[in-house]
Amino acid sequence: MRGAAIFLAALLVLTGRAEAERLTISLSTSEIMVDSTFTGDTVTLFGVIERDASTISRATGYQIVVVLRGPPETVVARRKDPIALVWVNNASETLVGAPSFYALNTSGELSEVSNGPLLSRYEIGFDNIQFTYENRAVANDPAAAEFRHAFVRLKEKEGLYTERPAAVSFIGATDNVFQSGMWIPANAPDGRYTVEVFLFSGNVLLAREEGELNITKVGLEQVMYAAASDHAALYGLACVVLALLAGWLGGVVFRRD
Amino acid sequence: MVIYLPIAELSVNMFIIFGMGGAVGFLSGLFGVGGGFLLTPLLIFSGIPPVVSVATVATQIAASSSSAALSYWRRRMIDMKLAVVLMIAGAIGTLLGVVVFNALRQLGQLDLIVSISYVTFLGLIGGLMLSESVRSIINARRGRPAPLRRPGQHSWIHGLPFKMRFKRSKLYVSVIPVIVLGVCIGFLGALLGIGGGFILVPALIYLLRVPTNVVIGTSLIQIVATMSVATMLHAVSSRSVDIVLAVILMVGGVIGAQFGARVGQNIRGDHLRALLALLVLAVGARFLVGLVTPPAERYSLTVLTGGGL
Repeated sequence: MRGAAIFLAALLVLTGRAEAERLTISLSTSEIMVDSTFTGDTVTLFGVIERDASTISRATGYQIVVVLRGPPETVVARRKDPIALVWVNNASETLVGAPSFYALNTSGELSEVSNGPLLSRYEIGFDNIQFTYENRAVANDPAAAEFRHAFVRLKEKEGLYTERPAAVSFIGATDNVFQSGMWIPANAPDGRYTVEVFLFSGNVLLAREEGELNITKVGLEQVMYAAASDHAALYGLACVVLALLAGWLGGVVFRRD
Repeated sequence: MVIYLPIAELSVNMFIIFGMGGAVGFLSGLFGVGGGFLLTPLLIFSGIPPVVSVATVATQIAASSSSAALSYWRRRMIDMKLAVVLMIAGAIGTLLGVVVFNALRQLGQLDLIVSISYVTFLGLIGGLMLSESVRSIINARRGRPAPLRRPGQHSWIHGLPFKMRFKRSKLYVSVIPVIVLGVCIGFLGALLGIGGGFILVPALIYLLRVPTNVVIGTSLIQIVATMSVATMLHAVSSRSVDIVLAVILMVGGVIGAQFGARVGQNIRGDHLRALLALLVLAVGARFLVGLVTPPAERYSLTVLTGGGL
């Protein structure tokens, strides 16, 4: 009996949802191969807002938010201070699990899209990313704000953190088919990226959809990088043998005695 | 031609790196030094992370020193017994150097210590060399013969216990100073990315009285060994040896050294030493400027785990 009740409740929820919009998204590619000649690439996200006859019409237009996040990383942010005439790395904070890459594309200014609590809940925008610090119990501890700002600023400088309002556009005259181009720079770290798409209207979150993008390093450089980290001893030995071989060869080729 | 360095994780112009290797190789051929103390700073100044610079130059020095060591080996100008003792001590020193290197890296103070060490060493050695060579030039101008060095036959070093006989060098000395010397050179080599020949050779001559005909060959063997160990340990512990960078530097270095050696034969020794001293002082001064000028960017990021790693 109880099982049937839950099933019925679930069915109600599902049918109830059919009245709201649904999001369907697709990326122009699900994998980017990065080799030594890679200078950056654009990944385009396409999306459709699906409605049916029962969907209520919105007085306010749709707003789309696209967030592309790179794999998490643990980073030490350090600050140099002058100590006895010399500039020394002095204070530091360790940011745990911070996104290595963060690209935010929106269809309008973030302030027009939604209000603070929703943006902060879904970590939309640089200011809403939840930074966790080592040895600090509170996420986004204000005492560490200085380092958080420095982190975001340096990431922006490297082109790894971007915020682009008006970078999501509706195709043609439609109000339900959209696209957004996301620039993957050459220095983008490799790994599994997640793309989140949010549909807002009049400050309300209507739908949310997720996708995935893999950035994989390929080529000889990748082979060497993998060798250096996975088979460190063998790699080291190869370097030594190579050095001695080069030295011997040089000695033979340019023999003077 | 732009080439991507897989470990340094940045793209560089291959010909600039090749040119640096060549220029330092030229100078090392000219002055008869290894060139690590010039190459490591040059790489750091050109934007390659100090961690990668130090570890990769160790590989480059192993290559260039083995090339020169081979030629001394053919001419039998090596004291093998002395070299073996120095090598064992050097390996221990290298191990210590790599441990300290990684500890400093974790504390975020590696760059600072490397800079301070370079300022100190290059300032000290450049200053000594300059005053010595200027004195010798002045003496030559006035037509005076250079004062012959008559070091005392026995210093306190020769009174130390645990004596060992080194037949090739015709020496009977305590192993303590030999071991201390080897450990120090290995330590500095691993920490600073230098071969240490410019410290080891004078130390062997003036402190231990090793005959000049075997001193260079013997020190080269020691440098090959410690730099090979340093390469190995850096590769295993900090994974910062960039094989692509090392190969470019090696090729440039080997070619440059040949030209340098030829030019060096036409320049007077004291003039050569004065030039080298000025160069050493200039590199030291550059490090000092870097330490005291306010940085353009006070904040820096170091990735520990995840992301691109």
